[in-house]
Amino acid sequence: MAHFETEYQRLEASYSDSPPGEEDLLMHVPEGSKSQWHHIENLDLFFQRVYNLHQKNGFTCMLLGEIFELVQLLFVVGFTVFLANCVDYDVLFANKFVNHTDSSKVTLPDAILPTDVCSAHIRDNAFVIFVLIISGVFWLHRLVKFLYNVCCYWEIRSFYINALKMSMSELPYATWQEVQARIIEIQKELQICIHKKELTELDIYHRILRFKNYMVAMVNKSLLPVRFRLPVLGDSVFYTRGLKYNFELIFFWGPGSLFENEWSLKQEYKRGGNRLELADRLASRILWIGIANLLLCPVILVWQILYAFFSYTEIIKREPGSLGARCWSLYGRCYLRHFNELDHELMSRLSKGYKAASKYMNCFLSPLLTVVAKNVAFFAGSLLAVLIALTIYDEDVLAVEHVLSSITLLGVCITVCRSFIPDKHMVFCPEQLLRVILAHIHYMPDHWQGNAHRYETRDQFSQLFQYKAVFILEELLSPVVTPIILIFCLRRKSLEIIDFFRNFTVEVIGVGDTCSFAQMDIRQHGHPAWMSEGKTEASIYQQAEDGKTELSLMHFAITNPHWQPPRETTHFISQLKERVHREAAGASSETHPFSLSESEPKSLVANILAGPSTLGSVHFACDTSLTNNAVTGMPSGATALRSLSPISSSLHLRGSLSAAHRASGFTGRAMTGSGTDARTVSSGSSAWEGQLTSLVLSEYASTEMSIHALYIHELHKQQSRGDLSRHTWHRQESDESSDSIPDEVRSEPSTRSRNFPRSQTFPATLPSPGASSTSATSGAIVGQDGEKAQSSQRRHSGPAADHFGTAGKVVRTARVPMGGWAEDGKASSRHHEPVQEETSEDELPPHIHKVT
Amino acid sequence: MNCRSEVLEVTVEARQVEEATLALLHTILLHRSTGKFHYKKEGTYSIGTVGTQDIDCDFIDFTFVRVSSEELDRVIRKAVSEFKDALSSDGMGQISLEFYQKKKSRWPFSDECIPWEVWSIKVSVVNLANEQERQICREKVGEKLGEKVINVVEVINRHEYLPKMPTQSEVDNVFDTSLKDVQPYLHKITYQITDSLGTSVSTTMRRLIKDTLAL
Repeated sequence: MAHFETEYQRLEASYSDSPPGEEDLLMHVPEGSKSQWHHIENLDLFFQRVYNLHQKNGFTCMLLGEIFELVQLLFVVGFTVFLANCVDYDVLFANKFVNHTDSSKVTLPDAILPTDVCSAHIRDNAFVIFVLIISGVFWLHRLVKFLYNVCCYWEIRSFYINALKMSMSELPYATWQEVQARIIEIQKELQICIHKKELTELDIYHRILRFKNYMVAMVNKSLLPVRFRLPVLGDSVFYTRGLKYNFELIFFWGPGSLFENEWSLKQEYKRGGNRLELADRLASRILWIGIANLLLCPVILVWQILYAFFSYTEIIKREPGSLGARCWSLYGRCYLRHFNELDHELMSRLSKGYKAASKYMNCFLSPLLTVVAKNVAFFAGSLLAVLIALTIYDEDVLAVEHVLSSITLLGVCITVCRSFIPDKHMVFCPEQLLRVILAHIHYMPDHWQGNAHRYETRDQFSQLFQYKAVFILEELLSPVVTPIILIFCLRRKSLEIIDFFRNFTVEVIGVGDTCSFAQMDIRQHGHPAWMSEGKTEASIYQQAEDGKTELSLMHFAITNPHWQPPRETTHFISQLKERVHREAAGASSETHPFSLSESEPKSLVANILAGPSTLGSVHFACDTSLTNNAVTGMPSGATALRSLSPISSSLHLRGSLSAAHRASGFTGRAMTGSGTDARTVSSGSSAWEGQLTSLVLSEYASTEMSIHALYIHELHKQQSRGDLSRHTWHRQESDESSDSIPDEVRSEPSTRSRNFPRSQTFPATLPSPGASSTSATSGAIVGQDGEKAQSSQRRHSGPAADHFGTAGKVVRTARVPMGGWAEDGKASSRHHEPVQEETSEDELPPHIHKVT
Repeated sequence: MNCRSEVLEVTVEARQVEEATLALLHTILLHRSTGKFHYKKEGTYSIGTVGTQDIDCDFIDFTFVRVSSEELDRVIRKAVSEFKDALSSDGMGQISLEFYQKKKSRWPFSDECIPWEVWSIKVSVVNLANEQERQICREKVGEKLGEKVINVVEVINRHEYLPKMPTQSEVDNVFDTSLKDVQPYLHKITYQITDSLGTSVSTTMRRLIKDTLAL
């Protein structure tokens, strides 16, 4: 058999048909859950904590910071009580004689009362005990919160380390965008959120900022009662942390709030059927919370005082000037916040605007006060000088009673006076400063432009940018005022609030209920006066005021370049970007005079960059560059610009820019140079993102956003000038439909009429502020009439004001915001061609008429 | 909430409540159960078999398939009969079947139960006047339930998040291993009668405490 050959061969056993036994069953390999972060229950809280930990620079920093805070609190309370009760001041002031056997020196321990006396002191004083109890409760609350937080954040820490693969030491140097990108990355494998395969940036923002978006939208639609017209103080804003806390308690998380949990609005509030009943219920809830506030008022007051004392004494001691300094008010933060803007983004934006804003406010120092302050400072200074000179000669002078204290007092007096004396070298250029501020804060009411020099504008701006001292004072007053506002103002709005939440809540899969404004959908919430003409289908009630939707959208798209917006939105963004780029290019290469005659605002960016107020300098620069072939006259121009540039944060950039320009011999074209730079920058953020680190990117992004914000505002201004009456009428109408009474929108017409005393010379009859506000509430016909009158008056007064503005500005040269945004030498090589092309400066004068 | 939720609505007569809800709950559980896992040495496992069983309804023209596990049936029946008793004639109620995962926590906290899918069946009870209407209702409800079953199957067929298959040590976090013959995903059944749909005091208090603790 062995030699027998055949083609038949034994088949290799590729299968076995033996009966299935134990070992041959279908086997599965479990994947197991490799990490514990698949499917997290409360993503809102989770993302918030991830964000917080990132903002607090890692676990250790957070832990240490909180521990020290606790210790500090304990120390301050203990020390204050000790000072008040356990020190024998008679001994310190040497009013009481201490008899010592060994020496006559008084030692510190002599002044301290023995323990039993001390504790008796404390026991006798009911107020001290009250304070002690409250701060004890406060401290315990903080302690419990601290312990709870440690447990929660420990988990987040391990999430960072194990899932995101970021160690705590590198966290402070990672941007939020990086963290976010990693979260999006791990969603793909871990499915943190089970609803969708992939998370977007917007989802994460929505979850972190769910309630903040609602608050921003409510402030935007003037739903919250935070603006009041008071008899003496006039139009004022009151919005404190206490009030904010109460609003949030009522709407979002308190017992019986509108929200069922972090992510969903209660079902009954989504249906319109029983809105009246719900409004009643809300009103009674607000009433109860108001009453509770009233009852707790003394406790909260003491708490606030202690809190203010603990938090601010140290600061005041360290830099006494800080009380005179200003800060962005809570209302300002709400008003200026974009939809979907995280805290750090807002803060960096506002901090950039801080310098310019305080400069702007300092422009308005009262001349009367200045004169007084100068003289007081003179007399106090001479006294002080004599005292100091005497002390230097012989220090025994210090031993004379009250010499040391009078030296101190005089010093303080001089410091205070000095704050009322404006900087000698400061130039009054509010319009320009306001433009710089706008570049950073991105929002301002329409009527500020062109009226920057008026006191009303300053007053309104101070509502956004208040004195720190005022801020603290308001916080202290808040426990008393909050219940009043809740009971008398908020309660009346309960129906509107119910309607607001019903109309502006959308359920997004994978996110839950969010504010529909935060979707940044131009079609639903765009405002026709803000570039979304034709794209928006929003009724007046639905339109976000002040171009919030459009600006927020741009902001979000720029800060999150990887975000894929829906299609129409992409269209809007790319269109706008393209226009800005074109304008930027056009600004430097405007060779066609006819482009100016077009109705389309062609050279907007040029105007933005140069600033209407700085046309003088442009003119000057251009002329010299024409005549002197761009070399001779320019260094002076450039340096002038640099010295006047209000953006000090970008001064060094500017410096490098002008240096680069000087090197390339094109100093004269600093303006257009920065125009091209702007273009480079913006294209940078979209095209170079691979090469640039995200930090650099985010720096570019803020610049790009500023340009876009200015561009949108500029366009809006031109557009709204075109059909002013309609626009105002709309705003008014929107007011009526939403029926919000004390807001800036409504007050706008009246302030406007107050703004222009000059226009009284015009034939148009002037409705008084009172009349206009009554017309708003009464019949539509009257309202329209009033509006017509006002708008016509506005049309008259507009050019007048502008004329005034431009007339003054030729002297105050300088240039505006973008001045410093040019970056390094790349730009200078880039704009050679456009600069050479553009030789005709004839069209510059028309700019003046166009833009201003 | 990080959890899918599906809502099924049925309108039935009082005597049909039990069967209708049982039919739907069993249908869902049929698709959310596996055979028992038998773990082997190298971290692999084999899956036991699951029997199925047709159940005819007495008051509805309807037959549904359920896992043939008496134990599972007993558990569900108990919950459903409680629900039925709580539901008054011509009232509204909601019984929900919630699938969850357990997550082990460190010492101070108890284990978290994180739901990943919730099925809510909203039942409204109607009173019918005469026998003829009852007859029509009997057929109608049968048809409706058939639609719902197809609905359920469609939802389950979608390729969506399910907990990953666990290793032996973690099997209790995902599956309910207490039953002898079948192994459904961890689930619990809760019900609500319409009057008490608002948030209860206890949940509000819990949230209040949680919120004050939170940063």
